[in-house]
Amino acid sequence: MSHRPYGHVLIRRPRFSFLVHRRSAVVASVLAVLLAAVFLLGLCVGVRFIPPGDVLRVLFGADESIVVETLRLPRTTVGLLVGLAFGIAGALIQTVARNPLASPDVIGVSHGAAAAVVFGLVFGFGGPTATPLTAIAGGSVAAFLVYVLAWRRGLNAQRFVLIGVGISVALAAVTNLLLTKADITLAQQAKVWMSGSLNGRGWSQGEPLTWVLLALVPAIVWAARAARSAGFDDDTAIALGVRLGRIRLGLVVVGVLLASVATGAAGPVDFVALVAPQVARRLARTPQVPLVCSALLGALIVVSADIGARMLISNAELPVGVLTAAVGGPYLLWMLTRSRAGGAS
Amino acid sequence: MTTHRLAARDLTLGYEDRIVVRDLDLEVPAGRVTVVVGPNACGKSTLLRSLGRLLKPVSGSVLLDGAALRDLPTREIARRIGVLPQSPVPPEGITVADLVARGRQPYQRWWQQWSDEDEDVVADAMRRTDVVELADRYVDELSGGQRQRVWIAMALAQGTGILLLDEPTTFLDIAHQVEVLDLVRELNVTRERTVVAVLHDLNQACRYADHLIAMRDGSIVAQGAPAEIVTADLVRDVFGLACVVIPCPVTGAPMVVPGQPREAG
Repeated sequence: MSHRPYGHVLIRRPRFSFLVHRRSAVVASVLAVLLAAVFLLGLCVGVRFIPPGDVLRVLFGADESIVVETLRLPRTTVGLLVGLAFGIAGALIQTVARNPLASPDVIGVSHGAAAAVVFGLVFGFGGPTATPLTAIAGGSVAAFLVYVLAWRRGLNAQRFVLIGVGISVALAAVTNLLLTKADITLAQQAKVWMSGSLNGRGWSQGEPLTWVLLALVPAIVWAARAARSAGFDDDTAIALGVRLGRIRLGLVVVGVLLASVATGAAGPVDFVALVAPQVARRLARTPQVPLVCSALLGALIVVSADIGARMLISNAELPVGVLTAAVGGPYLLWMLTRSRAGGAS
Repeated sequence: MTTHRLAARDLTLGYEDRIVVRDLDLEVPAGRVTVVVGPNACGKSTLLRSLGRLLKPVSGSVLLDGAALRDLPTREIARRIGVLPQSPVPPEGITVADLVARGRQPYQRWWQQWSDEDEDVVADAMRRTDVVELADRYVDELSGGQRQRVWIAMALAQGTGILLLDEPTTFLDIAHQVEVLDLVRELNVTRERTVVAVLHDLNQACRYADHLIAMRDGSIVAQGAPAEIVTADLVRDVFGLACVVIPCPVTGAPMVVPGQPREAG
């Protein structure tokens, strides 16, 4: 009888050995295939339908299409990257908070970003390049504040969530105050950003997002393994030789960076970071959130929701965040009432 | 298994601004079962936590093979000292085999996630603690006694020469208490493992300890073989309890029987 961890396949060479969770690997493969299909569909649909065959020819350089190359490809790519980032960010933050209801909005990232962006728009430094930067700054500062305030001889998961909620509420009040003071067109502009939208997103958002994601790949790879230990209490983790304080800080920093960058690119796309990790975990049936599955699922949700946002009403476009919230909210409720493990923290 | 030496020098321990243990010196007998007893809040758990570097000393130091714990990497300590805290929390939704396998953490690297040795040690730990049948069960759904055996299995999988147990029998019924303590005893006999345990029950302490440490108000009042140190005077001194000490009819170890109960009505 084998005693290696349950449900894992051992990949072994003389210099290294890896344990791969079998079901997670299968789920990740299926999600990757689905994601590729939805991504292609995202390039096909719009005001004018372009058949997948034509789109593929454009992608492989055999043909040209301005609609695909300059409009749909950048937009769908941004959607994909934003989804990946939110999927990972949500997984990491939920792991640290030990709470399936924690997400970047709970720990202040989204509200911090929103407050900063609205502040920027109202005081005249909003714009295609300034908005993502102010969002990143606002999100990171808010999350830093929450982390520091929740720190009392170590990070207490419960304080972390409660203080995050408190700071978020305060920031939302600031945002509303700014909006009521603001000029009506600016307020309108800010509202659209705040509901999360991929409309008009292109390479100017996609490029910085790509670089940040690439730069964070080593950190994400580290996080995927380190997150295993975050489920223990502090004493047990130290007993096993794990520096849980450092791991928590590292996971939060990576999560906050990803969430702020994604928020900067597309606005706070609601519920993706909240739902993707939990659904991924249920699909893969793992004790901790499977990072790769969560990332792929996040991307799948955002790209699909964006297609829906473009298709649902003719002649107008819904912000993608409205769609993710409309679908994600009820789904989460259903999941939590239905599942035994969902409510535990 | 190599034996490691654990000792405390001028150890002062506390939380925030409250000092719990002051200037304590201690030499843990290698290869023996040491049991720490004392009234509530006497600092016995605090002492155990600091021996396992779960609590940093206010001053003084804990020495492992002559080196201060604070100078050793925590991972290195984890290969020599196993600690079972008072109420350990498992990751949510983890199975028994997974949890026991986590005991191998100090030996694993990102690129070295599982070795033959890991497999052998985990199998051995599960066999000794009799949790093999539970391997695929979720830890959340186990009974208290089963769960405690699983935690001990995880600590064993760490393969350490020293094992620190903080009240390992709390919340267990008497049969499971005996079962857990018999297991601890057996680990020591067959493995020459050094065990330090904090226990609430004085009679169990006498029954299982080679070396008994009695604490009160953060200091050691008496230590030695139970038969040599446990007397009615010591129990009155440490716990403030009037009692009679008789030899246990089964083991011959000292047995503490509290004095006349107060009359009803």
